[in-house]
Order: sequence, then C-alpha cells, then structure tokens
Amino acid sequence: MSAVRCVGVSRIFKQGDLEVTGLDNVSVEIEPAEFVCLVAPSGGGKTTLLNAIGGLDKPDAGEIWVAGKRIDNLSKSDLAEMRLNNIGFVFQAYNLIPVLTARENVEFVMQVQGVRADERRRRSDAILAEVGLKGLEDRRPAKMSGGQQQRVAVARAIVSQPAMVLADEPTANLDSHTAEQLMELFVSLNEKHGTTFVIATHDQRVMAYAKRIVRMLDGQIVEDVRQQAA
Amino acid sequence: MRTAAVVARLAWRNLWRNHRRTIIMLAAIAIGVWAMMFMTALMRGMVNDMVRDAVKSLPGHVQVHNAGYRDDPSVVNSLEMPSGELLAALNGPEVTAWAPRVRVPAVISSERESRGVTLIGVDPAMERDISFVTDATTTGRFLEGSADSGLIIGAKLADTLDTELGKRVVLMSQDPDNEIADRGFRVVGIFDAKVQNLEEAFVFIGLTTAQKMLRIDRQIHEIAIAGSGFRDVAPLENSIAAAAGPELSVLPWFELDAYLGTMLGVMDGFVLVWIVVVFLALSFGLVNTLVMAVFERVREIGLMLALGMKPYVILSQIIVESILLLLIGLLIGNLLAWATVIPLQDGIDVSMVAEGMEMFGASAVLYPELLLDDVIMANVIVVVLGIVASLSPAWRASRYQPIEAITKA
Amino acid sequence: MGITLRLAWRNLWRQPRRTWLTAGAMIFSNVILVFMVSLQFGMYGMMIDNTLAVFTGHLQVQAPGYIDDKKMRQSIPDAVALGESLRQGLGIDTVAVRASAFALASSEERSFGVQVVGIQPDYEPRVSSLPGLVTAGRYPDSNDALEAIVGTVLARNLKVDVGDELTLIGSGRDGSFAASIVIISGIFDSGMADIDRSFIQIPLGTFQDVFFMESAAHEIVIKTADLSLVDGVVAQTESLVPAGSDLVVHDWDALNPGLKQAIQADLAGAWFMYGILVILVAFSVLNTVLMSVLERTREFGIVMSLGLTPGRLGRLVMLETSLMGIIGFVFGILIGAGLIVYVGINGFSYPGMDEMADRFNMPERIYPTVQMLPLLLGPTIVFVGTVLASLYPAARLNWLEPVQAMRAA
Repeated sequence: MSAVRCVGVSRIFKQGDLEVTGLDNVSVEIEPAEFVCLVAPSGGGKTTLLNAIGGLDKPDAGEIWVAGKRIDNLSKSDLAEMRLNNIGFVFQAYNLIPVLTARENVEFVMQVQGVRADERRRRSDAILAEVGLKGLEDRRPAKMSGGQQQRVAVARAIVSQPAMVLADEPTANLDSHTAEQLMELFVSLNEKHGTTFVIATHDQRVMAYAKRIVRMLDGQIVEDVRQQAA
Repeated sequence: MRTAAVVARLAWRNLWRNHRRTIIMLAAIAIGVWAMMFMTALMRGMVNDMVRDAVKSLPGHVQVHNAGYRDDPSVVNSLEMPSGELLAALNGPEVTAWAPRVRVPAVISSERESRGVTLIGVDPAMERDISFVTDATTTGRFLEGSADSGLIIGAKLADTLDTELGKRVVLMSQDPDNEIADRGFRVVGIFDAKVQNLEEAFVFIGLTTAQKMLRIDRQIHEIAIAGSGFRDVAPLENSIAAAAGPELSVLPWFELDAYLGTMLGVMDGFVLVWIVVVFLALSFGLVNTLVMAVFERVREIGLMLALGMKPYVILSQIIVESILLLLIGLLIGNLLAWATVIPLQDGIDVSMVAEGMEMFGASAVLYPELLLDDVIMANVIVVVLGIVASLSPAWRASRYQPIEAITKA
Repeated sequence: MGITLRLAWRNLWRQPRRTWLTAGAMIFSNVILVFMVSLQFGMYGMMIDNTLAVFTGHLQVQAPGYIDDKKMRQSIPDAVALGESLRQGLGIDTVAVRASAFALASSEERSFGVQVVGIQPDYEPRVSSLPGLVTAGRYPDSNDALEAIVGTVLARNLKVDVGDELTLIGSGRDGSFAASIVIISGIFDSGMADIDRSFIQIPLGTFQDVFFMESAAHEIVIKTADLSLVDGVVAQTESLVPAGSDLVVHDWDALNPGLKQAIQADLAGAWFMYGILVILVAFSVLNTVLMSVLERTREFGIVMSLGLTPGRLGRLVMLETSLMGIIGFVFGILIGAGLIVYVGINGFSYPGMDEMADRFNMPERIYPTVQMLPLLLGPTIVFVGTVLASLYPAARLNWLEPVQAMRAA
C-alpha cells in the first residue's frame, strides 16, 4: 500500500475572471519511507500538490489516496482529523504559535489529540532532544534563530508519529549552513522512523538530499527521477 | 491649505481601510448618541410637562401674597385688589396674563359627606389665560362671571361626596372675625385634572361671590401672574416685586413648589451626567480603534516621516480620522433620535404606572421633547471629548522615529 | 485544557493596551452598574419601608369598598375584638385598629377641615412611626381620653399649642351631628408638610363615642417583620377573618398603588440606561475580538493545517474573551464595592436631594451598603454580553480555509 497515490488530480483557481491552472491531470505514487522532492519554479504547482496531498485543499477532479484511504471526498472535519493524526506540516515560515514556548508548541497538537500530560512531556522532551534543541525547550520562538524555529516545527511535525511529513520550502529563509543542518535532520528522521518525506522546493541544496525528484511545470509532472542521494 | 485637503482625504480613505472595524465603531457611536438624546428627550419632556402643569395649577410663574399668608393661609391675611404701580406692572409687557383670587380653606358638604378643601374665588375671564381649570372643565360649564353663583368641583371630589351636576352643596369657612361664613351652591361644572390630587383639593366659585360670602369687600388673597416661560422668571419677579412694595411677598414658582424647582435643576444635572457617562463608555472603544489603526500603519507612518512629512501632520491626520468617525456617528445618531422621537410625540402611554407617576408629580402620558439646546450640548460634548480622547494615540503616532517605524515587523 | 488555557491567556497579552482598554470599558460600566444598582435597591427598600411605616402598614383589613370610597358607614363591626383575635391568631402584636372621619377643627382663632383618626394608644406605636415623631407634649395614653395630637403645620395654622382646646364638629356614622372638645396633648413633626397639615389623632374609644361608631372601626392595620412576609400574612389573615363576613384584606400595594408603580417607573428608566451601557461594552468587545482574530488569520491557518478544527479555534477565541470578561468582572466588582463602602461612610447626596427626599419619605443622606444581588447583577449581565459579543467573530472562523488563511498578510 502506497503512502500517497494521486490519480488524475486537477485543481483550477479562479482569480476574478481569470482561471489559473494549479494542477493539470497529475498522477503520482509515493511509497512509505520515501524521501521525495517536488521541484518547480514559483507557480509551478508544487505547493498546490502538497496542499492537495495534505488534505488542505480539495482537488476539482481526480482521486487522492493517503495510506490506503481516499481523502478527496472527505468532509472538512474528517480532513482535519486526518491531518491531526496522520500528517505533519513544516512551512517556510511562521510555523509556530508565538506566545507558546518550544515545548508548548510541540505539546499543543498532542493535547488536541488527547495525550496525557506526563506522556506529552516525555515525548516532547525526547523529540526536542532528537532535533538538537535540548536546553531550549522553554524558549519562545522570538528568542530563537530561524534554524532553531524550523527545528521546533519539525519536532512538532514528527512528535505525533505521522505517516508523512510535508514540507513547503522549509529552507527558503535559512542560510546555507543552517539549511544543510535541517536537511540532515530530515534525512536522519526519515531513516530512523521510516516517516515518508515529501518536500516542495526549488532550492538546489535541498534537492541534493532527495532520493527521488518529481519535477513539475505549469501544473504537470514533467519528470520523475530516482537518484542517489548525496 | 493644500495640506489640509491631503490630510482630510487620507483620513477619509484610512477610515475605510478596515471597513468592518469602522462600521462597528460607527454603530456603537450612533447607538450611544441615540441613547443620549432619546433618554434626555424623555426626561426633559417629563419634567417640562410637570413644571408646565404645576405652573398651570399653582398657577402662574409668580404669585403675590400678603406677607403673612404663606405661614398662615387664613382669610385675614389678604391684600387689596391691585392698583396704582402694581396694576401698571401687571399690565406691563413682561406679563402675559394675571388673575386675582380669593383663596381660603373651607369645608364642602354634600348630602352625605364632608371634606376639607381650598376654596378659590376667581374672575373667569382672567383665570382662563392662566390656569388649567377652564379647559379642564369637561362636564357642565365653567363660571360665567365673577358674580356667578355656581360652583366648579373636581371629578374625584364629586365622586367622594356623592354629588353631581345640578346638585346642591354647602361651603363653610371663616370670615375675618372668626365667624362662620357659609353658603349653598349648585354644582355647575366638573373638572378633570391630570394629577388627581387637584381634583380633590380645589373648588372654584366667582370672585365677587366669594368676597361677599366671606365678608371681605374688595380683598383678595393671591395674584397669579404668568410671564413668557418658566425658565427665566427673574425679570418678571423683580419688576413685580419692585411695584408691589415691601409688605407683599412676591415669589416665583420654584419657591412656591420647592420640589419642582429642584427637579428642574436635578434634571439639568442628570442630563449632563448621562451624556458624559455614555461618552466615557464609548471612549474606550474609540481610543482602542485609533490605537489599533495607528499600530497597523506604523511602517507607513515611518515612511511618511522619512519622506519629509512633519509630525504635526501625522497628529492632525489621526485627529481628523477620529473627528470624521465621530461626525458620521453623530449624524446617524442624531437622525435616529429624531426619527424615534417624532412618532412618539403624541405621547407614550404609561398609565400602567399612573399612580406612581403621580407620586413623582408627573402625568400618565410621557411626551418626549428633543430640545435644540440638549442636541447641541450632546454633539459638542461628543466632539470635544472625542478629540481629547484621540490626543493620546495621535500624539504617540507623531512621535515615531522613521527608521524604527519602518523596520518594525 | 492546560495549554489551551495558557494559550488563551497569553493571546490576550499580545496587545496589552488593547486588552486593558477593552477591560477598562467593562470595568467602567461595572463600577457604574454596581454603584447605581446598589443605591437604587437601598433607596427603594427605604422608600417602601418609610412610607408604609408612617401610616399604611403592610396590610389592612377593611370593609368592602372602603378602600375606594372611604365612607363612614363602610365599617368593620366589632373591630376591637377582631383586632385582638388577629393578634392571637397571627401571633404578633403589631396589629392596630383605626377609625376615620372628617370634621371641622376649630381653635380660638381659626377653623380647618381635617381628617380625624381614632387610634389605639397601646398598639398604634407598634404599627406606625408617627407616635415616635411627637416633638412636643405626649401621645395620648388612654383609650378614652379627650385628647388629640396635631401636626406642626396644622398647629401653626390653627394657632394652637400643647394644652389648648380644639372643637371638633362633624357627622357620625349614622349621619347625625357629632361634636366634641379635645385637649391637645402633643404635637408631631413628620417633616412632610402634607401629613403635618391634614389630620389629627384621638383615642379610638373617644372616637367611637363621638362619632357614634358603637364597636365598629374602619381599618385594622397590620405590620409584618419584613416585606417578604406580607403575602403569607395576608393569606393567614384572610383565614382568620370571621367566616361569612365580607371583610377584605388589602396588601400595601393595593393600599398605596403609587408606591410600587413609582419604583417600577424608575426601574424601567434605569434598565434602559443600564442596557445601553451593556450594549456599548458589547460593541467594544466585538471590535476588539474581531481585530485580534483578523490579525491572527495566518496563524490560524497554520494551526488548522495541524489538524485543529475551526470549532476548536472558535472555542479558543471565546475562551480568550471570557478571560477578559473575568478581568472586567472582578475588577469592576472590587472597585464598585470599594466605592460603595467609601460612600457608605460619608453618605451620599446630590444637590436637590432634600426636596426629593421629602416627597418620598427618604432621609437626606443615603448610606449604601454592599449587598450580593446588586453587587453581582450588573457585572454578570456585562459578562454575558461580552461572551455573546464574541460569538460572531468565533462563528466566522467556521468559514476559514487554511490555504487562504496562510496566504493572508
């Protein structure tokens, strides 16, 4: 059973009178524990595809299957539940709730899932240590560097043991060194926990880490290549 | 002047950047202003009505008595019919109407019952212009001359005495020698008063008839005088007092009825307090709106300052924004007030609490009165205090340093 | 719940000035509400108690029709005996029998029509405050003495003092001629001109003699320990009245309808004003919450991408507003209570209050106290209004789409 399966997915945006094609009859399959990069120039459709896979945006046509379950016809609240339990998101910026500390940001989702306080504590401590932020648990995002903030976002994405982590240009605001560190973290998590990673990017440095690159242009997949990671 | 035009246009556009917030604020101001005026109109109407009714039943804006009459309202404390200087003053320009009266305590008896009342001897022609009773006589007729031998009685009293139109009653009082003075009368008219007390307390007969009955020749006890309005009575009072001389007491209505006099003053104070309280409740929201508006535009303000606009222009822009907000809200509020008061001008029926209103001295129908003075006061207070309230956020906005402002996240 | 609560609280303080200004609006309104409502409750209670204490009592037993017509022949047979049996049956001694007639009272120099009230000297002081207001001389002390007490204004008008004689002339119950001479044993001063000028009290035994009442009287006045007990006592009294007689029991509201109505009228006006304050606060809250939600649109979008439902977000917003409401509630009550305590020490009055106080049997300064209901009533309504105001912004979140939200500025 694949982690993600898209069959003939299309998404069209209306801007006033204009119609903009987001996705055009996209079909792709991603296996569990894969480390995939979606690559496209701006507006190419990578974010749209990511949003569709993550249940954030409903396609206008086609089918999407996540972990063997069809998601394109789910209700909004069912989609929310799916995201809560099965998917971790990491965005380019503004990932965290500014008034909560790193630990509280990580624990927030667990609390919504109903995890008990002591269990939450144990897991947040563990995951923050794993992403290399031991000692910074009680800091607020404003008092952290960009790289550290992204690490907290990753920790939060991973802590509820999702099937998949979807990252949308996670390194866009980071300098090279920090970007590398973040990508190394992704890779290690992917290898250690077997979590599927799908990363949308047009950053060359990121692509170097990918084991599979899916290129898109104007909403269509133009290339789908497996390669040796660096 | 060019700056003023730019400032005004910017202020106007900025107001509508966040139209939801502006509309909510406008709604709040409109409701507040409406409430200010509506309540004020109701209270004013009630009190003005009370005073006008009192003045009609006292009657008059000013009354003249024998100096000892107020303490001892007896037949001996009388005065002469006005002549000479006093008569001239009474016919002067400040007096719109005046009436002489005999006024003594008496006992009225029907076949079955007796009651204590105040007997009032009047000259119907002069009384008509100054007191309520001629118009209030709904059954039968009013007296036709000072020598009329009929008697006018209140509806409630007629009820209590078990008497009616055409029946005979006996009035009994004292003459100046402390002898009984009594006489029989036929009831020729029955009056209805807004305040029921009046119906039980007063009976009216002809002036000359009263003088004959009490054996007091050409003496009277009271001169009731009406001027132009109940608010500014002092000139009237002074001119009458000057002409009346030191032996007579000349008193304005608010001293004759202390309760009402103070009611008027209390109401003035109350209206002011109410307007200020409503405004203060609004002011929190107003300041909040301005603070938020400024906060959202920090970068832009920094940009303007960097481009060379002077701080006072920023200050005035915020203040103009505030003024615009207030003016629009005031406009809507004023219109709402006007629109709600007009249909109610025929009176709001509160007869459910009629006896309660009587305790206050008010009638069972409320007539709201939206006075120009009150409207102006409310509007001015809102604008002035509104400007004061907006000074703080405006001042802070003008103090921003350009670089800090532009780089604020 | 823990993190959500922390989150809600901290969200409030992202914009401290905005939160404090909004809470300020709540606190301001709450202080006014707490103060005014406490004042009103205190005043109304006093007004009722004082007015009833003078004369009306809490309930009365009367012959049918007496309450409207007050005719001599509408009397209670064997009244004194009935009074005694009521005392036994109800187990209280605050029961007094009275009779009432109209008469001409003549002193040496003057005559006035007055109401003559026959009272039981042993029991009247227990139901009325008037005996306690005797300032000169003393209250009559035996049931058949030829004594009377007179109000100060009447005494002045009649030119009499303690020890002087008064001649009373009127009609008895059967219509025959009634007359007597009484000695003034005391003079009372209630401070209310109307009362001090219109009646005299003589012992009931004397009254029944003079006015040919035999054993009848007109009113049995009962005073209860507390206003809240009146309904129960009315029911009890009705059951104790001899079967087959057509005597009626009236409670104080029927006896003095103006009292409750005056309070209702005043309350109605007050509720209107308080309602406006609550509405204005609600607007302020609406604006604030709307703004705070709008500026977090992107954040909400991200949080929704984590899997939170809009419903949960809505609850978060309402929780934030409730916390703010609690701040307004607590501080409003504290400051309001403090204000009451402060004023309670020094007394509260405003210019013009003494004349109004006169009319409503109120003391000239009021000393309010802190009581639970008035303390909590206003702030609770404000709190409810606050939470309601947050419904709209919270509900709006249901239409939030994560993707669009994240694109927001």
